[in-house]
Amino acid sequence: MGILEISHVTKSFGSNRVIKDLSFSVPEHAVFGFIGQNGAGKTTTMKMVLGLLKADSGEIYVNGEKVSFGQTATNRFIGYLPDVPEFYGFMTPREYLAMCGQITGMFPDKVKEKSTELLKLVGLEGVNKQIRNFSRGMKQRMGIAQALLNSPKLLICDEPTSALDPIGRKEILDILYSVREHTTVIFSTHILSDMERICDRVAFIHDGNIALNGTLDEIKGIRKGEGIEIDFMHKKDAAFFLQNYSSGVLSEETRIVLKKQSEDDIIEIMRFLSQKNIAVRRLERLEPGLEDLFLEVVKG
Amino acid sequence: MKEKRFQLLILSPLKRTWGIKMKQWTAFIKKEYLEQLRTGKLLVLLILFCLFGIMNPAIAKLTPWMMEILSSQMEESGMIVTGVKVDAMTSWVQFFKNMPMALIVFMIMFSGSFTTEYQKGTLVNVVTKGMKRYKILAAKMGIMMMIWTLGCLVSFGITFGYNAFFWDNSVVHHIGFSVFCFYLLGLWLTADLILASVLCQSASAVMIVTGVMFLVSYLIGMIPVVSEYLPTYLLRSGELLTGAKSAGGYCISVAVTIFFIVLEAVLSTVIFNKRNL
Repeated sequence: MGILEISHVTKSFGSNRVIKDLSFSVPEHAVFGFIGQNGAGKTTTMKMVLGLLKADSGEIYVNGEKVSFGQTATNRFIGYLPDVPEFYGFMTPREYLAMCGQITGMFPDKVKEKSTELLKLVGLEGVNKQIRNFSRGMKQRMGIAQALLNSPKLLICDEPTSALDPIGRKEILDILYSVREHTTVIFSTHILSDMERICDRVAFIHDGNIALNGTLDEIKGIRKGEGIEIDFMHKKDAAFFLQNYSSGVLSEETRIVLKKQSEDDIIEIMRFLSQKNIAVRRLERLEPGLEDLFLEVVKG
Repeated sequence: MKEKRFQLLILSPLKRTWGIKMKQWTAFIKKEYLEQLRTGKLLVLLILFCLFGIMNPAIAKLTPWMMEILSSQMEESGMIVTGVKVDAMTSWVQFFKNMPMALIVFMIMFSGSFTTEYQKGTLVNVVTKGMKRYKILAAKMGIMMMIWTLGCLVSFGITFGYNAFFWDNSVVHHIGFSVFCFYLLGLWLTADLILASVLCQSASAVMIVTGVMFLVSYLIGMIPVVSEYLPTYLLRSGELLTGAKSAGGYCISVAVTIFFIVLEAVLSTVIFNKRNL
């Protein structure tokens, strides 16, 4: 049984069915990427896991315990980083963490020790100003610190990198990657490169359903060896090649992309090129990025 | 041996759970207190209550002087003002006239206590940390009632002190009880404000709903037969000062008000438990 199990969950807002029969599970110690367009239902799903929204039907289990709406006991296993984290602006980071620690029932000494450790991890040690003076990136980092305070089994981050500049994003991703040994991380995003960088499992949510779900390698493997790209030395070679391979598409002056090619097809192409004495600058198999997959999923 | 086992099995888990329970509440109380302190609200309210305390004897003290200025004009219109006498009674009457104003300011100051947290989403974080929702409510209610209590004490204390210095407080009757009645009315409105806060999304809506609750009680109170059974009857506790009325007449209203405070607190808790944050 995974740390998080979602089975047959539905949720509507008025007549708008946001989540339609959603089921998936997250194994322990994974970095689980949750991809979808804006409005696909990522945040709604996360809020249901946290017991902040009531699911219309279906069940959610965290660490084997059923999630209930309102008074949510399962939240003791969870650290949560909202998409735009807002903290009490009049408090300093240490004061805020002390309050959180007290709420979760940690001993004061432990809170102090953990605060120091976490503020160091997120690069906020020695910052003693009130949170209202924080930049967005600092708030996000503060968010991670508070989410990890009670050493949660499951860390849920809602679009943690969306609002940040590239450097801020890298910092957050590095932090998330570094905590995976102690905790399972789920994070949602629509930035695919972030996901490719740190996730080992990925689920695409589209139109309230899971469209694809598996390890990053599995998902990439779905369309592995999909195409090849040939870069010719001369324009005339490219033109000649096109006459014989009409399925090819000229992407640039000397570059031709061929879709859906098996290994045998490639050997055949190489044989053709050597027979005709055509030298090429480069011949490359195209590995599909998540981007292609994402577009395919979205287009349906 | 038996004692030790009792301590181990019964007392220490009790202590532990009770400890955690109190911890959450005190953590949130501390947060609320810090908020009032650092945003300057506490200071503003304390200054306000001080001013309201000083204003009552000041107005009483200034009344003869103002009358003197006005008297020449009044003589022209045929009215003759002779030796205006002021005493502690004048000042206490002012107290009951002015304090509703302080109550309104107090209510406005706290109308956003919940709603700004909904809008910013700051409560989400706290709840996902395992905070019991009723403790958030209890802490907010606690801090509001504490500040109201403190404010009333300050205003009352200052007015009482000046009155004792200038005149004699013994000319007024039931002063403690009548001030208590007004104080209780404030507590009831605080409970109203909290109920409105768990129902509404914005501070202005909270003010309107609270106002409506007050108005309903006030308007029903126009019917003489039922007026004594309503919280708004406490507004008239100033009438006790002259000694023409007995304090007993207000007991029903006091009881009803306390009942409403408890009822609204329970109702707020139930609604707050199920509300989207």
